[in-house]
Amino acid sequence: MDDRRSPNDLTERLRRIEAVTDTALSHLGTEDLLLELLERVRELLDVDTATILLLDPREDTLVVTAAVGIEEEVRQGVRIPLGVGFAGRVAADARSAVVEHVARHDVANPLLIEGGIESLLGVPLLESGNVIGVLHVGSVAQRTFLPEEVELLQRVADRAALAVDAQRSEVDRAAAAGLQHSLIPGRLPVIPGLDVAARYLPASGGAVGGDWYDVFTLPLGRVGVVIGDVAGRGLEAAVVMGRLRSALRAYALEWSDPAEVLGRLDRKIQHFEIGQMATVVYAVLEPSFGSVAVSSAGHLLPMAAVDGPLRPLDVLVDPPLGVGAEITRRTTVVDLVPGEVLTFYTDGLVERRGEILDEGLERLARVVPGDTAEESCATVISALLGHVDPGDDAAVLVVRTNPVGADAPLQVELPAKPSSLALLRGALRRWLSTAGADPDLEMRVLLAIGEAATNAVEHAYGPAGGPLEVEVWSHPDGVEARVRDHGSWREARGQGRGRGLSIIEQCADRVEVGRGPDGTSVRLRFEVRSEGVA
Amino acid sequence: VNELRLSVRTEGALVRVSAHGDVDLGNADALGRQLDEVVANATSEVVVDLGDVGYLDSAGLRVLAGLASRLRQHQITLRVAAPDGTPARRVIELTGLAPVVGLEPAR
Repeated sequence: MDDRRSPNDLTERLRRIEAVTDTALSHLGTEDLLLELLERVRELLDVDTATILLLDPREDTLVVTAAVGIEEEVRQGVRIPLGVGFAGRVAADARSAVVEHVARHDVANPLLIEGGIESLLGVPLLESGNVIGVLHVGSVAQRTFLPEEVELLQRVADRAALAVDAQRSEVDRAAAAGLQHSLIPGRLPVIPGLDVAARYLPASGGAVGGDWYDVFTLPLGRVGVVIGDVAGRGLEAAVVMGRLRSALRAYALEWSDPAEVLGRLDRKIQHFEIGQMATVVYAVLEPSFGSVAVSSAGHLLPMAAVDGPLRPLDVLVDPPLGVGAEITRRTTVVDLVPGEVLTFYTDGLVERRGEILDEGLERLARVVPGDTAEESCATVISALLGHVDPGDDAAVLVVRTNPVGADAPLQVELPAKPSSLALLRGALRRWLSTAGADPDLEMRVLLAIGEAATNAVEHAYGPAGGPLEVEVWSHPDGVEARVRDHGSWREARGQGRGRGLSIIEQCADRVEVGRGPDGTSVRLRFEVRSEGVA
Repeated sequence: VNELRLSVRTEGALVRVSAHGDVDLGNADALGRQLDEVVANATSEVVVDLGDVGYLDSAGLRVLAGLASRLRQHQITLRVAAPDGTPARRVIELTGLAPVVGLEPAR
């Protein structure tokens, strides 16, 4: 045994440890790598136990992550507060320690006492000078550790720290990217009359941050649009982003005023995500898409354009979320015209190193959007980031209200479910107002098509649902429409359910119902009535 | 459902409910539940003001007719206010429900 503990041999032993870390790093997971290291350490230092504890900085607690000799430590998830017990002191002092006769008060972990450990040697795991954990070895027989052995253990700890840090960064990066990917909508909702496109661009090197965007339909035909940026980078920012995204959606269902929604989100951050900060724009398009209500929490102003370059929307800007204090948040309503392109973005789009923000904003304001949202998105990105490596992640979201021509028929396909009725009505109202329908005609068309669509929603399909197709076009004396489903007809069930057909018959001037194996088709013809009375 | 906002004013035994928004199959049931909740046992008359309702169809009418029948059982009077030219008045008249739901005469 004595020859194994000679100083000369220590150099050779260290080389063998290093060989383990270098080759193992490439294919082992952190835990397997640490176990491999601990096995070697136990053998080379001739000790009975070897343990690695990693610091959980959120709780200032050391958690046993790998152990040989007393494997129960890992299964039991032993946690040692910083500064307490043997490992806690090594971590708090950030230097090695030796206990030759372990007494009960020396250690916080009862398993060491139960295991009959007599002598302990511990060294800190350091990463850039910060303690990230502790490596300690224990011997049942009482022994003295040579300075060379302390040094060897420290060298092993350094290798372990390197491996842990490398794997942690990789895990963080992969998790953040995965989270970001799962939270940014891959496919945006299909909304009649609205053309939507978006891009999320990670920073160079693939680092993700806390940028997000969201588009969702709200009850009764309104549409919510969100863009936001959580301060910070990596996994933590991505996690906070995910929480804010869900909370905003929840508040959006309950409150219609964007300022109210952001105010509640702010309170949520200040209570549950203390210390986090985020900038957000939340905009709600009215069902007609004739106006948008916008509230900004310290976020860069969305820009808009119709047949020309982008210009910032004239919207009041309130402080970011999470900065504290009671803030009265405000909503600005901005009128929109058909064909208007709204552009939402995060600072990664307009910021460049060594440049003031205004230059980026001016560059964006020179962009003339394309004919579709997708094209506009591409144009904006190529103009702003075409030739530079983005230093920060960036998100761009373009929403374009469709220009509707009076001659162009309206074609809408929606899932046959109750929430589609409001979306359908929104599209009909927009189309009818462009087609110049008088209030009486508008009301009759809305009601008759609404009732025909309600029939399809209630009776055409089973629980699996199916599509609802509506087509509306002008004729010289008024409007014609066809409402189709691909389900099978069944009679209405329940009391008071036959009223819909009577409404259809009174609102339309001609009604033809075709029922076939491939569904029901209701053809409606409306004529302008001079007196406006049915 | 926030898209249909109800404001409720109680004046003694009279409950006055004003609705703002659209009523369709998507929120009619929720409207029915909300209306039931605002009527207390001490209520003798309910006025539902539909002047600010932009759309009302058979789903909403079903709720109003149901409410009228339940209130009748409790000897509570229902009146529906909807000025001339409003979508709600129009559809109530179209379906002949004016006497059933107590539609107030146009002014």
